[in-house]
Amino acid sequence: MRLLLGLVSLVAFGAPTFETDVMPIFKAKCLACHGAGSPQGKLDLRTPEGVLQGGASGASVVPGAAAESLIMDKVVTGQMPPGKVKMTDAEMDQVRAWIDKGLQAPVKVAAVTEHEVRGIIQARCVTCHGGLKQMGGLDLRTVESRLKGGKSGPALVPGKPDESLMLKRIVRGEMPPDKMAKELAVELVTDGETEKLRAWIASGAPGAVPVTATPDAVVTAKDRQFWSLQPPVRPAVPSGAKHPIDAFLLEKLKGKGLGFSKKADRLALLRRAHLDLTGIPPTPAEVDAYLKDTSPEAYPKLVDRLLSSPRYGERWGQHWLDLAGYADSEGFGQDDGVRRYAWRYRDYVIRSLNADKPYSLFLTEQLAGDEMSDDWKKAKGVASPEMLDRLAATGFLRTTPDPTNSAERGLLGERMNIVADEVEVLSSSVMGLTMGCARCHNHKYDPIPQRDYYRLSAILQGAYDPYEWKSPNKRELDLALESERKEVAEWNAPLEAEQAKLKEALEKARAPFRQQGDAKMSDADLAKKFPELAEITRPIERDLQASRQKMKQKPHVRVLMDNEQPSQAYLLRRGDPVSFADPVEPVTPMLLEHPALAPYKIEKPFEGTSGRRLALAKWMTQPNHPLTSRVMVNQLWMRHFGRGIVASVANFGRSGVLPSHPELLDWLATEFVASGWSMKQMHRLMMTSEAYQQSSAVDEALTAKDPENVLLSRMPLRRMDAETLYDSLLTAAGRLDTTAFGPPTDVDIRADKEVTVKATKAGLRRSIYVLHRRQTPVSLMDAFDQPSMTPNCTERRQSNVATQALHLMNGSMAWELAKFMAGRVIDEADGDRGREVEFVYLRAYGRRPNAAEAKLGLETIAAFRAGWPTRLETDNSEAPRAANAKWLAVANYCHAILNSAEFSFID
Amino acid sequence: MKTRRDFFSSVANGLHGAALAGLLGRDLYANSGGVFDLKPKPAHAPAKAKAVIQLFMNGGPSQVDLFDPKPTLNRLAGTAPSRELSFAISNGDKPGVLMPSPFPFKKAGKSGMDISDALPHLAECVDDIALIRSMYGEHANHEPALFLMHSGRTIASRPAIGAWVAYGLGTENQNLPAYVVLDDPKGLPINGISNWQSAWLPPIYQGTRFRTEGPPVLNLQPREEIPTPLVEAERDLLRKLDSAHQKQRPYQPELDARISSYELAARMQLAASDALDVMKESEATREAYGLNDPATASYGKRCLMARRLVERGVRYVQLYIENQIFDSHGNLEASLRYACGKTDKPVAALLKDLKQRGLLDSTLVAWGGEFGRLPISQGGTGKAAGRDHGPNGFSVWMAGAGVKGGTVHGATDEIGFKSVENRVSVHDFHATILHQLGLNYRDLVYERHGLKERLTDQFPARVVTEVLA
Repeated sequence: MRLLLGLVSLVAFGAPTFETDVMPIFKAKCLACHGAGSPQGKLDLRTPEGVLQGGASGASVVPGAAAESLIMDKVVTGQMPPGKVKMTDAEMDQVRAWIDKGLQAPVKVAAVTEHEVRGIIQARCVTCHGGLKQMGGLDLRTVESRLKGGKSGPALVPGKPDESLMLKRIVRGEMPPDKMAKELAVELVTDGETEKLRAWIASGAPGAVPVTATPDAVVTAKDRQFWSLQPPVRPAVPSGAKHPIDAFLLEKLKGKGLGFSKKADRLALLRRAHLDLTGIPPTPAEVDAYLKDTSPEAYPKLVDRLLSSPRYGERWGQHWLDLAGYADSEGFGQDDGVRRYAWRYRDYVIRSLNADKPYSLFLTEQLAGDEMSDDWKKAKGVASPEMLDRLAATGFLRTTPDPTNSAERGLLGERMNIVADEVEVLSSSVMGLTMGCARCHNHKYDPIPQRDYYRLSAILQGAYDPYEWKSPNKRELDLALESERKEVAEWNAPLEAEQAKLKEALEKARAPFRQQGDAKMSDADLAKKFPELAEITRPIERDLQASRQKMKQKPHVRVLMDNEQPSQAYLLRRGDPVSFADPVEPVTPMLLEHPALAPYKIEKPFEGTSGRRLALAKWMTQPNHPLTSRVMVNQLWMRHFGRGIVASVANFGRSGVLPSHPELLDWLATEFVASGWSMKQMHRLMMTSEAYQQSSAVDEALTAKDPENVLLSRMPLRRMDAETLYDSLLTAAGRLDTTAFGPPTDVDIRADKEVTVKATKAGLRRSIYVLHRRQTPVSLMDAFDQPSMTPNCTERRQSNVATQALHLMNGSMAWELAKFMAGRVIDEADGDRGREVEFVYLRAYGRRPNAAEAKLGLETIAAFRAGWPTRLETDNSEAPRAANAKWLAVANYCHAILNSAEFSFID
Repeated sequence: MKTRRDFFSSVANGLHGAALAGLLGRDLYANSGGVFDLKPKPAHAPAKAKAVIQLFMNGGPSQVDLFDPKPTLNRLAGTAPSRELSFAISNGDKPGVLMPSPFPFKKAGKSGMDISDALPHLAECVDDIALIRSMYGEHANHEPALFLMHSGRTIASRPAIGAWVAYGLGTENQNLPAYVVLDDPKGLPINGISNWQSAWLPPIYQGTRFRTEGPPVLNLQPREEIPTPLVEAERDLLRKLDSAHQKQRPYQPELDARISSYELAARMQLAASDALDVMKESEATREAYGLNDPATASYGKRCLMARRLVERGVRYVQLYIENQIFDSHGNLEASLRYACGKTDKPVAALLKDLKQRGLLDSTLVAWGGEFGRLPISQGGTGKAAGRDHGPNGFSVWMAGAGVKGGTVHGATDEIGFKSVENRVSVHDFHATILHQLGLNYRDLVYERHGLKERLTDQFPARVVTEVLA
């Protein structure tokens, strides 16, 4: 938009002036870049006119409103000036005062483009006059349809704003209608927008001029040379080790005069492998079986066995759900509404990992499962397992907090936040790009113009159309497995029969009274009129209500799917949802254009969907994509070795950390693709390396030479994460219910607000099957750094704080589990006291106690036992007190063991 | 059998070696990038405030009835509002009419600040407070507005100001959390625990709820069903096990930190119980805070606890009040009298008590809700009428720690609908609190995905220097 400056009165009497108050500051701090020659960002700050004119990012000042002025925003946040020398507070105040009091708005005549008008109409009108709804027969999306108008005639008369119906009704405050606007979460047209519409109609309501996509100067050929933007090339494996991973690592270690540490103790390695791959410790039987197998194949066989365990998908599913930002609730409001079918996505992830689904397919289904086939469009109620999985897979982009079920929280700004969160999930988890930085301005470090952010966003806006929005409840399909539908039908059938009978009984009771009264009288009024009837009907109605409450709902599936005709996407100035700049088309970021890479290309797979996300999946899963394979193997590596080869796992850009072993990363990335994107093959590869099998012991010399273990001169000693700890407590205690899949188990909120998990008949289910409601995290896991998904978590952080100790020492869960564990241990030892200690060690630590430990255990249990009789007597306990004391003494022992560092740390 | 004291001394006496001594009594947070802890850290600039007590007034206190007299409303009483004002109501109701305040205003203190008849106790303290009448928010619903006031954004995904302060400054007393929340025993505020979350800041910086009835921290006390000597004996065994485990694993700071966290837990049992024990205060003090009056007892207790906590070096204390007590949608006069009746006396007592103990100079007290209210009536006429949410203009105040007492800053329009003069955004408000703590909002950053995150995000902010001495 060009501002044509008319009669400009720039100086108010007595107010600060540009020449005396501002120019000296600009001269010192700004004009080097925004002065003579070709000013940066097309912003010339030498004159008040230039300041008003603004630059590439739009107007730099809003006269009279420093707080809303871009220039102040840039200066105050330290973005400008870019160097070390910033404006002082006093200087800022001076500039601010000038904008607020010294600078007067010019009389402006604006030439408004159709694009800008369309943005306004999309933001304010198309909810009712668009693709989904055409109230009054009016569709305002195109020039033609506006001229055609609706039942009341054409919406506009080019050149005559005052005769144009749409403008008249806006000006009169009739459109959008207040009440409907509230219900549909539409905001009123602002005065500025009304003026833009008027100006556009006055100038003849010109049609859209195609925007020529000028390549943003931000991305240069040199920028594209950055390492992570080049397709990985398979390097030669250095000699010196049998295992390729070891060969790459040793090369760097030797450079520092280091080698690998000695091999870990066999049982330490067993426990490490179990916890790493399945998230639970080995059982005593597994310990013994492993000890017995002394062949060199024992360890690789162990890895294979663990990879084929159903527990593998549950453990690594959690890792993936972290990346996706999975939760079972919408995340807003007092009730933090539960997402009833979110678990289908969780199950899809677990099943896919257990099946070792190729990552390329895994990703494609999650980005565009709905676009892979239109079978679901034809299905009526019943879905095949494959179809349901493909649809549920799109849950990957349905995880972020979404308040828009409530109209009050469904405004355009909120919708744009949801789209932004999904862009964040997508870019941080699988692209390794900090796209979010480019939402309001060009990226500060990486060659990501703001335009690219909105292009990527536009890919998702096919489904997350911010202008014709669907609230989360509407993003569901009435599809389920035959068996699920049958189960509900079978459950409901007797209830329905019962209800029919009750209704019949009601009618029968009412019939004689109805004859006495008015035939048209409502049931409630009838009961009011004849109290004796109410006496009869009340209990029947109560039964009917009770029966209805027992009914099960027909299961659905949450899905992400496109609008038939997605609205135009825009570059939004400064991220402001109604500051429309150029329209943008869906396409992937320019920095990833590479001659060896097929460009992003949309092909509509079938009618009713845009194909934007399917094209994204195709583009991302190209074998030589520079980021897809690297980012994923790096994630896998971090979770096995404690630190990514690129330590900033979500940022492969210039502000990220360079890879510690670039050749190894590329070798792994190419190997990953060559193995058919098999994640299990990657686990196998990493875990059979000598590096993985090292001890975690460290001494002074090693900490000096490799302080942060970047070179992997040892395995890191690690604390269990929240879920591993929770699941391991259950396993050690013998309380784990291994029931997999399906709706999550609910939580209990105790009077003191501690959140615990409800037990099933078989025990307690794994953490991944517990209801993940954002407002009520399970207290124990919350204390141990289970992340709040805001919007996702690409890397776990760990703290060691007192509240964790309080939870394990004094919380109900650890003590209840200790008692349960003691019961099982006593059963297993069958009267042999020495074996009690042994079983406790095997269950908790995956090893047997040494002589000193066994002695300490026996003595302590004996001492514990002496502490109970008095208490049991005072409590007047009805159980055999000596036997109970024996049991509780072992429970005390188990309680201490479960609290010990050895239990929650992994060697 | 060892006593608890023996347990502490044996641990402290180097049982776990020199490495532990350095870690003793502080939480440790480790990631590949660095180590985070709660040790006191230098501010960016000399600080006026060592601690902050934020008195959060849930529901949205009505500015035109408490702090911002609007005689024009008397003149316009009963007239219809502008379209903009009528669209500002939060539900589909028909907008009401302009409604004057039922409360008379008086000039109070040497400064002659106008203050409502509903706040007689605060009227005695006006020369210590700086009133900001020109606040404005971004959203008319409680949830987003609360998020905005706590974290600078209307969404549920950013760290609370208290978490930022704990991150920036650490805390003075390692036996107590840095950031303590005293919520109302009647129930969590809207948004629940998300109000004091650390989001992507390390979890050690999130607010710790101290309950004001019953045990202050979840699981603070040992389980009653385990005989006390056995609790000690278990700890004794645990110490032996951990010590042996640690001896074989030197140079593992996370392991050391984990072991020291068990000691902090034990010390917190004593420190927290002591800090919150208001029975240790004199009868006169308890009377002053209103602990003997059922109306003020609950909030008075929290105010008194807040003083005891900042006295002990806690950095940031946040108080909440009964769900939505200031959410006066109906019966305006009665509901505001009720809300003020619960809070006015304790708040004034807190200010006086802090001053008398010389703590006010180093403690910033901030009072305010998530928004204000509209100058039009809602939900009926006469006494039954209330006011709907109004985020476009509302009042907050600050006191202590370098705040210029007796100041009135900014103004709303003539009917109190919108802030028009010297407008203060929530980011400005946050920047000002940080400033008094010696923190520059631009420099208090946390690196995340290559982005320097701030409390004020990328929004413009400005320290409200006009309210500072």
